[in-house]
Amino acid sequence: MISFVAFSLKRAWQGFWRNALMSLAATATMVLMLLLLSGFWIIHTGLLAALNFTESKVNIEAKLFDNAADFQVQDLTVRVAAMPEVAGVEYISRDEALKRFRANRAAQHQDDLTQFLDSNPFHASIEISLRDPAQYGVVQQRLTQEPIVSGVENIQSLVTRVLTVTNFLRTAGAVILFVIGIIVLFIIVNTIRLAVVARAEEIEIMRLVGASDAFIRWPFVFEGALVGLLGALIALGVLGAASDALSRFMFDFFRVLPLTFGSLARDLAVIVFGAGVGLGILGSWVSVRTYLIR
Amino acid sequence: MTLAPPESPVLTLRERLFGAPRVRVAAERAVLILHDVTKTYPNGKEALRDVDLVIPEGDFVFLVGPSGAGKSTLLKLLIRDELATRGDVILDGQDLARLSRRQVPKVRRKIGIVFQDFKLLPTKSVWENVAFALEVTGTPRRRIRPAVDRVLALVGLTAQAPQFPAQLSGGEQQRTAIARALVHDPRLIIADEPTGNLDPLISWEILQLLLRINELGVTVLMATHNADVVTALRKRVVALEEGRIIRDEVGGTYHRMD
Repeated sequence: MISFVAFSLKRAWQGFWRNALMSLAATATMVLMLLLLSGFWIIHTGLLAALNFTESKVNIEAKLFDNAADFQVQDLTVRVAAMPEVAGVEYISRDEALKRFRANRAAQHQDDLTQFLDSNPFHASIEISLRDPAQYGVVQQRLTQEPIVSGVENIQSLVTRVLTVTNFLRTAGAVILFVIGIIVLFIIVNTIRLAVVARAEEIEIMRLVGASDAFIRWPFVFEGALVGLLGALIALGVLGAASDALSRFMFDFFRVLPLTFGSLARDLAVIVFGAGVGLGILGSWVSVRTYLIR
Repeated sequence: MTLAPPESPVLTLRERLFGAPRVRVAAERAVLILHDVTKTYPNGKEALRDVDLVIPEGDFVFLVGPSGAGKSTLLKLLIRDELATRGDVILDGQDLARLSRRQVPKVRRKIGIVFQDFKLLPTKSVWENVAFALEVTGTPRRRIRPAVDRVLALVGLTAQAPQFPAQLSGGEQQRTAIARALVHDPRLIIADEPTGNLDPLISWEILQLLLRINELGVTVLMATHNADVVTALRKRVVALEEGRIIRDEVGGTYHRMD
């Protein structure tokens, strides 16, 4: 068994170098396809992050009556927080609301007009963030029925429209990534098939001298894995070299979105290696198969 | 070379499960038995029809006939590239129709095949081409070297061992192919037009080599169009025409004598 693996690895290595032109062509195709896949995957990840970010902005602000007692507010907060659709509840007192307003004006370098008023014009409120913006209507309805809630702004139609757009983009992104994946799959498998077909006579001779299927198949499978491994290494090298420029370029993007370059790079490495080696093996396997089954 | 008598009461488990073989064979006496073999291709073409052929151990047989007579189909049946539509093909006591896919390579190692176009690997030396047949069948390294050296000496190519096929003459290439066919120590050598690409002098050289191998006890089945060789040697001649055996005579000539 060990000698069989050693034999297969040795034959794979020989096969790769003795057909250098074909192997390098396959590797180059592998690199380009993996880069294509990586590019679309990065775009898709960014798109998803952007969509999630947009949807997370959908929250509900319920204004409270000024005469609501502390225990009533407390009670409401606890009950709302317990709702399955709700991700978080924040109570904003009248003072807090005024402070936020002033900070906001200052940030925009505009005059604080509230200083001319004798009393705080703001009402207390609770701000509710949702687990899923599609649940907006349910939560909004519940809140309007609360006795201490003076009013809830209804932006249901806006939320619906935003969700329509984000859902469309999410589906379109997934479809495009899927199609790109299929294209990459077929091109890689076909390239490897060409490399195998170029050696049809070698396979024929092996069959005629009585080589078992395993002895014919595994060297080619290892060779396909080698092409995939090499292609993945080169593709990751290219991505690594480009990552500095890329991360500087996308810095603002990453700062706004809940996305870190580290986790992106790690996922990308897994995808590139998995796709490279996996498709290399798959391509060899199906290509050699056609010569084995008679 | 006749079929064994029908009284063989002891059935193996396999035979009890799958039925006794239609032909029971005296395996130690015949290398190859074809019994009522018919081969019809999926497109309806009948390449072989009711072929009966028994080749005893140590025989030297010429297979002759015009192109399209069924010679290639017959050879394909022997290496189990194709299965007979009807009838039995029994090689060294094994019914080829009953082989599992795993057993096919093992049976092929009992046959050495030589082709008109040599089928050598251009990127490997003579020595490596011969060793290749052993490597891809999982032979331990320590047994490969002496076996390859032995067959190369037998075909007279010891000096050419490190050369590549492109550096060899046609005759030397065919001798390399014969060495490769022999290296498994086969029961039967099948040569398909082995002299088809060679000039007459070299053809005789190859024939002499095949005869010598035959004298060493290896059965040889050679398909050929070379009338001079067949007629001169007066060996057993099996003539195929339109898928049938029309002549099978010992000491025969290429053409019918009458």
